[in-house]
Amino acid sequence: MTHQSHAYHMVKPSPWPLTGALSALLMTSGLAMWFHFHSTTLLMLGLLTNMLTMYQWWRDVMRESTYQGHHTLPVQKGLRYGMILFITSEVFFFAGFFWAFYHSSLAPTPQLGAHWPPTGITPLNPLEVPLLNTSVLLASGVSITWAHHSLMENNRNQMIQALLITILLGLYFTLLQASEYFEAPFTISDGIYGSTFFVATGFHGLHVIIGSTFLTICLIRQLMFHFTSKHHFGFEAAAWYWHFVDVVWLFLYVSIYWWGS
Amino acid sequence: MASRLLRGAGMLAAQALRARGPSGAAAVRSMASGGGVPTDEEQATGLEREIMLAAKKGLDPYNILAPKGASGTREDPNLVPSISNKRIVGCICEEDNTSVVWFWLHKGEAQRCPRCGAHYKLMPQQLAH
Repeated sequence: MTHQSHAYHMVKPSPWPLTGALSALLMTSGLAMWFHFHSTTLLMLGLLTNMLTMYQWWRDVMRESTYQGHHTLPVQKGLRYGMILFITSEVFFFAGFFWAFYHSSLAPTPQLGAHWPPTGITPLNPLEVPLLNTSVLLASGVSITWAHHSLMENNRNQMIQALLITILLGLYFTLLQASEYFEAPFTISDGIYGSTFFVATGFHGLHVIIGSTFLTICLIRQLMFHFTSKHHFGFEAAAWYWHFVDVVWLFLYVSIYWWGS
Repeated sequence: MASRLLRGAGMLAAQALRARGPSGAAAVRSMASGGGVPTDEEQATGLEREIMLAAKKGLDPYNILAPKGASGTREDPNLVPSISNKRIVGCICEEDNTSVVWFWLHKGEAQRCPRCGAHYKLMPQQLAH
């Protein structure tokens, strides 16, 4: 049995923090090698070791929680704080890009023609695909809430259906956005408009992919009966992240697509 | 690795599909209640389960809840459980005090909080099993 008088989880020694740090080193130096010497070897090695670290680290977390029962209520509470703090840090990350956008667009320089959008830029019509994208993400917010309630009410099949719908909507958004990127009449190198547009929406798109991946892992875990009706923090964390991604899109839509057009 | 995951996911999908009865209605997993999602009662394990079962009996063997304060008099000291011969005590004295008085409580005679004088006595105990 346990040999502790507290309810916390003293994690056993693990190599994944080290492999994670090493992968970060390989990825960053790999980027430099790619930019300056046109070689992707180091970068690919970094991405591989990063993926392996994530897979094995989170696999271990699932083993410790679902299979070994280390995630008591105080442990869960700590994980909740952790996820909230992480999402908050991501909010500040995006805040920077919104700052950059408003800095340049509120007082457009003479070089841009003193108006926004700048001369020569034909912005995307906010009432076309961007509006569809908005409805897709909003709908996915509804379906994930449906999935959560189904889970809490012991309804396995509805939970799986609703989560699947959420993931498919996320994929649909990604495909639509990729098509928009391909068809857009301006590129990232088209002045400050292009830079702010593609960096902000690009990082958002990356977060949609990350969120969709997280949700897919949850789907697999649900299929494997990992979640109980009362204890399913992995799913809740994924749902929080997904709502965050949705909210960022709403800000992007209103600021860059609508006001900025 | 990826192919292993894909094969696993494929098998799960097949299993989920097979779990549906011939009429297409979803069959319920025999152990799970209601609609097929397990409950903590059925599936919790390890320390989580131990704490859950103890809490059902009104027990708190892993000190999750804050200790209930005794009157702190010489006759009714605060009993402080410890797995060794000393433990740090933090006395808040009056409710809503913003500073905590910390001190080591040693085995033996009851000690008093330097600020409010409340009595504390160490209670050596075995590790919770």
